[in-house]
Amino acid sequence: MWKTIRQILKTGDATVQYPNAPLKRPEYARGKPEHDSVACIACAACAVACPPNAIQFVVDQKAGTTTWSINYGRCVFCGRCEEVCPTRAIELTEEFELAVFDKGDLEETSTYRLQRCSECGAYYAPAKEVAYAARILEQSAGDDDEVRVAREMLGKCPKCKQRADAYRAKRHSETQKREAGEK
Amino acid sequence: MSDTRLRAGDTHVEAVKQRFPGAVRDVNRVDDEQVCITVAADQAPDVIEYLYYQRGGWMPVMVGNDERPLTGVYALYYVLSMEEQDPGFVMVRVEVPADTCAFKSVTPKVPAAVWSEREVQDMFGLRAEGIIDDRNLVLPDDWPQGTYPLRKDSMDYRYRPEPTSDIENYRFLKETGDHETTVIPMGPMHITSDEPGHFRLYVDGEDIIDADYRMFFVHRGMEKCAEDRMNYDSVPFLAERICGICGYAHSVAYAESVERAQGIEVPLRAQVIRSIVLETERLHSHLLNLGLVCHYSGFDTGFQHFFRVREKSMDLAEMLTGARKTYGLNLIGGVRRDILAQQKVETLKYCEDMRREVKDLVEELLSTPNFIKRAAGVGRLDPKIARDYSPVGPLVRGSGFARDVRWTHPFDGYRLIADRHAPVTRDTCDVAGRTLVRVDEFMESLDIIEELLSMDLPEGPVLNDKFNIVPRRFSLGYTEAPRGEDVHWSMIGDNQKCYRWRAKASTYSNWPVLRYAFRGNTISDAALIVGSLDPCYSCTERVTVVDVKNGKEQVLTKSQLEDYCADRRHSPLER
Repeated sequence: MWKTIRQILKTGDATVQYPNAPLKRPEYARGKPEHDSVACIACAACAVACPPNAIQFVVDQKAGTTTWSINYGRCVFCGRCEEVCPTRAIELTEEFELAVFDKGDLEETSTYRLQRCSECGAYYAPAKEVAYAARILEQSAGDDDEVRVAREMLGKCPKCKQRADAYRAKRHSETQKREAGEK
Repeated sequence: MSDTRLRAGDTHVEAVKQRFPGAVRDVNRVDDEQVCITVAADQAPDVIEYLYYQRGGWMPVMVGNDERPLTGVYALYYVLSMEEQDPGFVMVRVEVPADTCAFKSVTPKVPAAVWSEREVQDMFGLRAEGIIDDRNLVLPDDWPQGTYPLRKDSMDYRYRPEPTSDIENYRFLKETGDHETTVIPMGPMHITSDEPGHFRLYVDGEDIIDADYRMFFVHRGMEKCAEDRMNYDSVPFLAERICGICGYAHSVAYAESVERAQGIEVPLRAQVIRSIVLETERLHSHLLNLGLVCHYSGFDTGFQHFFRVREKSMDLAEMLTGARKTYGLNLIGGVRRDILAQQKVETLKYCEDMRREVKDLVEELLSTPNFIKRAAGVGRLDPKIARDYSPVGPLVRGSGFARDVRWTHPFDGYRLIADRHAPVTRDTCDVAGRTLVRVDEFMESLDIIEELLSMDLPEGPVLNDKFNIVPRRFSLGYTEAPRGEDVHWSMIGDNQKCYRWRAKASTYSNWPVLRYAFRGNTISDAALIVGSLDPCYSCTERVTVVDVKNGKEQVLTKSQLEDYCADRRHSPLER
């Protein structure tokens, strides 16, 4: 009995003052993911990695846009999006007070333009993603065939790319045949 | 050149082959600790009984799998954890033909299979012939007949059928002999509770003669969801959400089942980190239960203090993983965060603080005269019943069995220290015994964290991502959660998706024995006994009392029942 009372007196006040005073969270605590729409290239890596499908992409072929969206109501704050993002366009913050009055406020979106295929004119990839790939190819030092072909193909949609690949293979085998014949 | 070295489980397979000539059709080595034998369907119950009772086997779970798209039949995997000589896991695979959909029940010979077989009846529509208790386990009474959720061709995971009837037609079991009894239903649910269950106590005056109960009111269909739409790498995050208290244990168990099946090597550093975080989880879970035991035995000051100290273990987890709960730490192949030098120092400090404080609190609890009086001899779980039903965790260890998957089948970081540890047991078989097991395990967890942290660990990456997934391989993953062993079975299918995932939570093994622990106690003990299993408490939110003799109904609130449990005066039934 006395022991218990002594214990109570010794412990003092265990209650924290939150929400009247800010709550201290440890370093690297996982909170709300913050999206940087300028850095984002709309590659959809985050949407693939997101376990609860909180991040999604919706493509509008007519308007030629793709819309990134996150629903903080579904988010489990695992940070997979941050891990897989190639441009660090999404990062977890320490913010955890996310309650809203209107459910719609839990969703954030940003829309990106799609790129038309230089050959057939169909939309095939987000423009920023294509530009990103172009920048990487520019920086790659190698000037071998692979890089050269990749640069050529950059503006083409997968279908046209496939066709071009097939033609190139055909040309290649014809050349080889001809060379073999000449020998 | 074939490997002639004996691996875990080989002696059991040999013994089965000798005892039942011709019964074993196929032997499939899963990994060093697991072997799977395919057994002729009609001999399966005898083989399993032999392994269970004569070779020291325990049965954590039986897994049903719809393998029609792969092999044309359904398959059942009876998982046996061999714990005497030659420890390891033996899976007994039984094929069930797709046309008859019937198999010989194992339950009459090994009662531990009862829940799993009932679940397979519900989920796959496979009939267990000879099972004594064939009521629905998982599916509700008003589920449409002929819709078996886990069959691959049955339904979309989002399908929510209309109820087919308005009346409850569930038969509750009742073995009351010639006692005239009153029925006390507790539960099933309250709108705010997340884990409801319905208990029906048959009482003669104040004494509980028998009890029956029903769970799965909020079956979330996680296994179906994972199979339908998740890839193998995002399931650890779903697995973590099976339980709000011991989620990390589930996450590790799932991750290891995939890693073992695929032969993926996990860096040693990651293995140790997993063990440290598992122990951190045990710290907060055991403090929660110790607090609640105080609460149920009328020592609310102790409850407050245990919860105050528990907050430190939550802070520790947040510091190590970035979240108080649902740590999100696992991926297939390792963990996502390292423990840095500064965090190590802080962890050791937390451990020291908690050890000191909990030691004082436990001393206080045990010197409170009404605690021992309240808990000793209450909720007795007979060792014989325990042997039959394979319960797990502090419940079985409180009845004298040394079952702890950390030390019987060491995995992860536990492998490095297994020779210095042994399961904590008590042989009083009662609530007091289980509580004391938890106290000792809490202290042991602190030791383990300190031991593992002080080890000289190889540096380097904590995540191995250099592997390819081969479809159709399966294996078990297992961890010791605070409430007992979690066993996960998984098989990856095509397109890197989950083909079948079976998650067995620890309390799944403990519910079937609760009935026997209830018998011979009084109503005022009921909450204490349920509490000593350490399930979710929300089940006792609301209580209705039915007097069978005059059909009168009486509604008791949770607080009335709890008050009666705490001070045992003013029975709510006497009015």
